[in-house]
Amino acid sequence: MGSESIPSSIVQLSTVDKVLEIGRANSLWPMTFGLACCAIEMMAAGASRFDLSRFGAEVFRPSPRQCDVMIVAGTISKKMLPAVKTLYDQMPEPKWVIAMGNCAISGGPFKFDGQYGIVEGADTFLPVDIYIPGCPPRPEALIEGILELEEKITGNRRWPRVESGLSQP
Amino acid sequence: MNKENVIQELKALAAEGMPDEPEVASAAPEAVPEGEEEAKPKKKAAPPEPRKNGLLEVDYAVKGVHVDAQVNSDQVVRAAQIADEAGMSLEAITGVDWIKDKEMEVIYDYSYTGGECFRLVVRARIPRDEPTISTISEVFPGANWHERETFDFFGINFEGHPQLEYLLLPEDCDFHPLLKDFKGC
Amino acid sequence: MSSQALSQHKERFELNLGPQHPATHGVLRVKLLMDGEYIVEAEPVLGYIHRMHELMGENRTWAQYLPNMGRLDYLSALSYNLGYVELVEKMAGIEVPERAEYIRVITTEMNRISSHLLWFGAFVLDLGGFTPLLYAFDDREQILDLLESVTGSRLTYCYYLFGGCYNDVEDDFLTGCLALIKRLRSRMPMYHKLVTGNVILKQRLEDVGPISAEMCRKYGATGPVLRGSGVNYDVRKNEPYSIYPELDFDVPVYSEGDSMARYMVRMDEIDQSMRIIEQAIAKIPEGPVMAEKVPKMIKPEPGDYYHAVEAARGTFGIRAVSEGKNKAYRMKLRSPTFSNLSLYQETSKGMLLADALALMGSLDLVIPEIDR
Repeated sequence: MGSESIPSSIVQLSTVDKVLEIGRANSLWPMTFGLACCAIEMMAAGASRFDLSRFGAEVFRPSPRQCDVMIVAGTISKKMLPAVKTLYDQMPEPKWVIAMGNCAISGGPFKFDGQYGIVEGADTFLPVDIYIPGCPPRPEALIEGILELEEKITGNRRWPRVESGLSQP
Repeated sequence: MNKENVIQELKALAAEGMPDEPEVASAAPEAVPEGEEEAKPKKKAAPPEPRKNGLLEVDYAVKGVHVDAQVNSDQVVRAAQIADEAGMSLEAITGVDWIKDKEMEVIYDYSYTGGECFRLVVRARIPRDEPTISTISEVFPGANWHERETFDFFGINFEGHPQLEYLLLPEDCDFHPLLKDFKGC
Repeated sequence: MSSQALSQHKERFELNLGPQHPATHGVLRVKLLMDGEYIVEAEPVLGYIHRMHELMGENRTWAQYLPNMGRLDYLSALSYNLGYVELVEKMAGIEVPERAEYIRVITTEMNRISSHLLWFGAFVLDLGGFTPLLYAFDDREQILDLLESVTGSRLTYCYYLFGGCYNDVEDDFLTGCLALIKRLRSRMPMYHKLVTGNVILKQRLEDVGPISAEMCRKYGATGPVLRGSGVNYDVRKNEPYSIYPELDFDVPVYSEGDSMARYMVRMDEIDQSMRIIEQAIAKIPEGPVMAEKVPKMIKPEPGDYYHAVEAARGTFGIRAVSEGKNKAYRMKLRSPTFSNLSLYQETSKGMLLADALALMGSLDLVIPEIDR
């Protein structure tokens, strides 16, 4: 399920695909791509209190060849843009992108008339799958983003979504 | 560190840069900026004295520096040497674009880290059309990066700088963002 | 050793460190000219996170600029808030009530402890040890919980306003701080026994990256880098601001100048910050936390003003040029790590690459603060 466009192969496996998707969703390996303040909240999410390793995403790899998901955490400047694109291109398929923080979504608090140095959002040049708003978003928000990505990949959500109190007893 | 010595030397230096009569003394073509530049040392050379003697504490509490000296643009190296001999360290170099006066100002901040609290700021004004000033990176190697950053933002040319390239902006950039007539790009 | 190695040119090559690298804390690129394993020349290249805070200072009113201060050095954001707010109060002549001053000092020192704890975890992670990071983050989360109950944010705080603080603190917060200090005091001996006394750490840090006091003076390095080279300079003692003159604390100074000295300075600063917080909590008076008559539009007198505070990484200075309007004409931010990093090029000549990374970690860099 979801909308990833993996080039179709000659041999199509349907049930094994589902198993593969569950495998991929439960072991997303993020890339250490913290640019600015949101990187600290990403580190805090990987540390022992919020513990991303419960969801399989503990192993932060610095090398793009070994990752599945690129969490763009922080402001992308125009000088950094070619490096981000190169890193994205180096990741093997299937790959996903999470834009974490207001700066990666739309330029954030640094967007003003006369701003010449930043890229207004990661989705101007990358196909972003999940957006996590916040400045910086709490580690729980990053975990919610990982769960949303898992839902996008497999179609099922690992934990039921907690509604915002209106329908709770 | 001899605070009195530093102040006396800087006063002498600032006085050296002032011509005797309020007329164009050097080869600058425009009369208006030159007049501004001469008027300022006359106004500024007086304030450091009373600030030091009587109103020093209050002014430090308001302005954040103890001594404020303004010199000519060819005297900044000598001012840096005076600060260096007194054992001070360089805190920052920056610029201000006074577009209405058609001048730019280069501001040097020095502070003393050896015990006594003493902060010094040295200013120099240069014409906006040809912003050139000599570098002090021979005296203080830390000025290397500060001057590169000031070049980034204002386009001020530091003569004698070993590597005057863009530091914070991309290498292929051709604008200076903190000029007041910069409109974005 | 190095002169022989450097004369054989066939082993020279260029290596690019960063901008995406696990050991550069942020996006820093270092162009290395290597000769085998030794560095011939290391040139830091900046600008990969240049967001132009100084131009925003000219486009925003004095009050609208407050959130930017937290995003400069996000790890010790409250010290930056403090510097900016004290500058504007100086310019506009606003008096701050005493309770607000005490609250500011307590929260700033808690932020300093959390910044040093994160530095400690990340530094040892660079050297190869993963576990102290988890312990340090655990302690840090407790500090962040307390600060969140008062300020509302975990990382990029914006808690001080011109004339005082945004919220008052409850007594729960003060008792929580004291309980936290008691817990931290029992954890610090564990850190010292397991990490500082570790023979591997000692071999990696002792005599690595010596920086002399004269070099610090020439490059303008401040903070733990300066205090690790034997110079006793702390803005809180030498040029006191806020209520620091009424509090009793020591400034740790080590004279060896190597990475181990800088490490020890920061660990001792955690102890001293705990002392400051205890004294401030004992002395905090009752009263308002906001000054009474703060003008809605602040229009300071024309002129330029300077203020310096001691952030976790060194002297943070702001120079604001005002023309009497409600926006600054020029806002210059003097960041401590900018000057600290400028001596990296000269210090790292002839070092082994692993030692150069230990030196970079001991300088405690936060790249968005350098690039502003």
